[in-house]
Amino acid sequence: MDTMLLEYLPILLFLGIAVAFAAIAVGASWLVARQKPDVAKDSAYECGFDAFDDARSKFEVRFYLVAILFIIFDLEVAFLFPWAVSLGKIGLFGFWSMIGFLGVLTVGFIYEWKKGALEWE
Amino acid sequence: MQELPNFAPALPEIFIAFSAIALLLLGVFRKEDATQGITVLAIVAMLFAGLLVPAAAGGRVVTFGGMFVVDGFSAFTKVLVLLASAFTMAMSANWLHREKLERFEYPVLMLLATLGMMLMISANNLMALYLGLELQSLALYVLAAYQRDSGRATEAGLKYFVLGSLASGMLLYGSSLIYGFAGTTGFDALGHSFAQGVPVGVTVGMVFVIAALAFKISAVPFHMWTPDVYEGAPTPVTAFFAVAPKIAAFSLLVRVMVGPFGDLTHQWSQVVIFISLASMALGAFGAIAQNNIKRLMAYSSIGHVGYALIGLAVGDQVGIRGVLIYLAIYLFMNVGTFAVILAMRQKGRLMEGIDDLAGLSKTHPMSAAAMAIFMFSMAGIPPLAGFWGKLYVFMAAIEKGFITLAVVGVLTSVVSAYYYLRIIKVMYFDEPVEALDHGTGKGLSFIVAFNAILIVVFTFLPSSLVSSASTAAAALFGG
Amino acid sequence: MYTAVVFLPLFAAIIAGLFGRKIGDKGAQIITCGAVGLSALLSIPIFIEVVLNGHPASFQLLNWFSSGNVEDAWALRFDTLTAVMLIVVNWVSFMVHVYSIGYMHHDPSVPRFQAYLSLFTFAMLMLVTSDNLVQLFFGWEGVGLASYLLIGFWYEKPSACAAAIKAFVVNRVGDFGFALGIFSVFVLFGSVNFDPIFAAAPAKASTVIHVFGMDANAITVCCLLLFVGAMGKSAQLGLHTWLPDAMEGPTPVSALIHAATMVTAGVFMVARMSPLFEYSQTALNVVTVVGGLTALFAATVGCVQNDIKRIIAYSTCSQLGYMFFAIGVSAYQAGIFHLFTHAFFKALLFLGAGSVIHAMSDEQDIRRMGGIWKRIPLTCVLMYIGSIALAGIPPFAGYWSKDTILEAAWGAGTPFGQFAYALGVAAAFLTAFYSWRLLILTFHGRPRADEHVMAHVHESPAVMTVPLMVLAAGAIFSGYVGHEDFIGEGMGRFWSKSILLIDGHEALHNAHHVPTTISLLPTIVAVSGIALAYVMYMFAPALPRWLAKRFHGIYRFLLNKWYFDELYDFLFVKPAFWLGNGLWKGGDGAVIDACGPDGLAAVTRDLARRASALQSGYLYHYAFAMLIGVAAFVTWYIVKAG
Repeated sequence: MDTMLLEYLPILLFLGIAVAFAAIAVGASWLVARQKPDVAKDSAYECGFDAFDDARSKFEVRFYLVAILFIIFDLEVAFLFPWAVSLGKIGLFGFWSMIGFLGVLTVGFIYEWKKGALEWE
Repeated sequence: MQELPNFAPALPEIFIAFSAIALLLLGVFRKEDATQGITVLAIVAMLFAGLLVPAAAGGRVVTFGGMFVVDGFSAFTKVLVLLASAFTMAMSANWLHREKLERFEYPVLMLLATLGMMLMISANNLMALYLGLELQSLALYVLAAYQRDSGRATEAGLKYFVLGSLASGMLLYGSSLIYGFAGTTGFDALGHSFAQGVPVGVTVGMVFVIAALAFKISAVPFHMWTPDVYEGAPTPVTAFFAVAPKIAAFSLLVRVMVGPFGDLTHQWSQVVIFISLASMALGAFGAIAQNNIKRLMAYSSIGHVGYALIGLAVGDQVGIRGVLIYLAIYLFMNVGTFAVILAMRQKGRLMEGIDDLAGLSKTHPMSAAAMAIFMFSMAGIPPLAGFWGKLYVFMAAIEKGFITLAVVGVLTSVVSAYYYLRIIKVMYFDEPVEALDHGTGKGLSFIVAFNAILIVVFTFLPSSLVSSASTAAAALFGG
Repeated sequence: MYTAVVFLPLFAAIIAGLFGRKIGDKGAQIITCGAVGLSALLSIPIFIEVVLNGHPASFQLLNWFSSGNVEDAWALRFDTLTAVMLIVVNWVSFMVHVYSIGYMHHDPSVPRFQAYLSLFTFAMLMLVTSDNLVQLFFGWEGVGLASYLLIGFWYEKPSACAAAIKAFVVNRVGDFGFALGIFSVFVLFGSVNFDPIFAAAPAKASTVIHVFGMDANAITVCCLLLFVGAMGKSAQLGLHTWLPDAMEGPTPVSALIHAATMVTAGVFMVARMSPLFEYSQTALNVVTVVGGLTALFAATVGCVQNDIKRIIAYSTCSQLGYMFFAIGVSAYQAGIFHLFTHAFFKALLFLGAGSVIHAMSDEQDIRRMGGIWKRIPLTCVLMYIGSIALAGIPPFAGYWSKDTILEAAWGAGTPFGQFAYALGVAAAFLTAFYSWRLLILTFHGRPRADEHVMAHVHESPAVMTVPLMVLAAGAIFSGYVGHEDFIGEGMGRFWSKSILLIDGHEALHNAHHVPTTISLLPTIVAVSGIALAYVMYMFAPALPRWLAKRFHGIYRFLLNKWYFDELYDFLFVKPAFWLGNGLWKGGDGAVIDACGPDGLAAVTRDLARRASALQSGYLYHYAFAMLIGVAAFVTWYIVKAG
């Protein structure tokens, strides 16, 4: 039982570091920087609507389209890292599996491109 | 270094996958609308895959590191799924054209859903199971909301999506519990690990897995989505929902229960018995008050799942054979019925009320006769096929002493006969208010006629279906 | 030939009944009349072969059933008794078929009527030709069915429907006795076929069985039960109430079924079973007394009725009484002879009455007739012939048979016989009286119908009068022609073995040697009855009304038919209705329906409503249901494991 719990120790460490890092970042900026808020500074940016507001508001669906498309390829990259690290162990089958995955993804990419999902206007 | 695995057993799946990709590219690169052609090609692909399945199946073969299994059982159900998909695709073509909804994504999505179902059927690992299930479900969520201008369709799609996600969550939770307590996700390994005692965690995990799969086959109490989604979704999609995913999920349920949890039969059979009883009862009583024929078919399918579950509850080879026969007959009855429903148009608009069928015998004598055959068959009136389906299941139950199940089954089929006969009564004895349109498609007429004849003829040559179902069931038990 | 005689009418009935619409009225009439006419013709050579040449025959058609030691076959038996009945049934039936063409010509459902008539004829032939009790019972029920259908032929008339039901139900009582009789015969003899039964009867003559805590002679029990059946069918005192009501049917039906043939089936059956009855003196005595009482009772009621058909119906009832007491004193031959002659003159009277009714635009009440003899002289003459025959005035048919019966009753030399003789003579007086009352009120005196009806009085067409004339010929001559063979010197050879008389039963033999006064008395009283009728209705029309007022009680008593209907209504019908209502509303409605079909349906509807109500449409309800389901299952397992 102890050995099994020991295996989770790194996760615990990561958790601690993440919490500490976030706390330090927020706390430091609060302590060190000067606080002079104005309307422009407090307004939401990039995705276009307020962070603390009624969720049932109308919004531009294209933001989400972009976000979802982004996530797909983001995950693709996230898959690629462990694959690259363990490529030596998983051999030919592992290699072709990823090629297949990338191929399917590419087809999806072609589809969305042709459909015009990537064009903002 | 891992060698390349044996791809041959998965040939039909690979073929479907490549077809889907190819058709997607074809559709997106063709400037003008190519939906009709792609639909036809998709049907051809499904039928061809249906030919590949028996060719690829010999004895039991496991590949992809134990993730994927092919045996007689999987071959039988895959053929059923592919047939069902091909039928519903053919029915959709007409509908898409008339509703001006021709988009090539529709056949591609159906192909992908079918692929997911085939993976489910061949899953030999909890991970593969989840993967197949999700592939299927995601495609189905989109299909349910395909008619996106219709409020009902989007509502149906959303409901199905949210509840389906909940079910997926349960499946994952159950799988992780099983993995946590048994240490493996492979079906073969799981099958050997419960000879001596079973941890409570595995039991709980198993209940979650059963719940998730029961959701997919819409068994009580996980059926709640069924009436709403069936009613809201476009009719051909409903037809698809009613048949193909049911068969796939059912065969998956059977494989999971008989394979990895084969030693725990006495445990899960109690849950299955309860689900079966509740489904039969709700299917019988729920449908009586319905006026929408799609909603009625939803309850009807709940009831039918209850009957098929009797065979699973029995849990032996004869019981599983009963399940397979039941599913096969269920396929033909439902496809035929939905084809008739799809032909119910009034001034070009699709009608769904039972009252709209009034006087069908006078305006469309052939359709009415076919519908009457389907309804009689669903009610289990001999000598039609539906009777035999029920008979084999009940026989299995009685042989193993599940008298209660058989008795409740017979009683609820009496109750359900009421609403099936009511449709016949409406068709034959009520005066038509406004006649339905004529000439709603040659393809539909062909499907209706084909299934009706099959159901009538089955009585005279049941042996081919029964014997292949026997082989399939035997394959599951390593015979 | 033998088979054809029986099955031709069935064939015609099927054709006319099923394809009546296709072949039309004409077609149905041709087919049914043709088939029955052919049967009538064929029955003559059969009569010659069987009776005159002395060759009885029987045929096995096919096996009916065989269960344990009950074996039964469809078989036809032709002996003298059967041959006589064949002549009567076929010829009267043929005449009625033809007559109906004219009588029913304005009716919308002629094919149905003709089909029923033919069906009846078939059933009656089945009855008289049967070779065993079960087949006889088949024919017996068949004629009952046809009678029910024909009485209720005008089913839109509530009174006709009520009469049909009454006839059916009252006959059920008799048939119940008959069925019990068949059972007991089977218990006693181990067979239902006539030949073994008759062969074994002498040996069983003194067998005793135990019934209802009493020891009784077995054959007596059988005979009495069978006689109950005969009473029902032949409308004997007690079970007679249906016959007058049966006059709701069309007149040809009354002539055929309720005068000439079906009602005589009881007489025929008892005569057929003579080898059994002969061994039970008790049963014979009962038959004598019932017959005698019926004869007098019906005659008294007949004197005060006003409906022309009802008068004749009571007359039929009375004449059947004569036949029974003839049988009761072992003068079977005389009974059958009377049956034979009676068929002709009574059918004649009924059809004549029908002709009168036809002429009077469907008026049946003799108080609203009168003075029409000049308009319809032919019908009038024919009715006179029938009445003379009925009253027993020589040399008409009725004289030969009725006188013989009365003489035989006297000649039997028993108290029962003399009792029957006395009743019979009294009835003969009344018979003559009411016959002439009917004739005088109908044809003579002042016209009492309104002018409109009188203007339409007309003689019937030939298709109706010709059968009447044929029957009239029978009414005049059949007695004289037949008496030698039926009851005279030739009777031993004539009847051959079809009727059995045991030693000591010599009533018929003695009948030829009774004192002259005894044999003249019936004729004298008949003449005086006629005279009285003339006095009362022709010369002193005030007398009847004065009598009715003076003897009001008796008049009411007779007019209401001795209050039999009221008695039965009080004793059986009311309690049965009460019980039926109770069982229907209380038992069936409140208990069985409520717990059975209706209750189940209500529960189903309720469950259906609840099941649909489960479907709220809210996503969180659905999700909640799923989670509850999972939670419940998990709890179940954990509790079970713990």
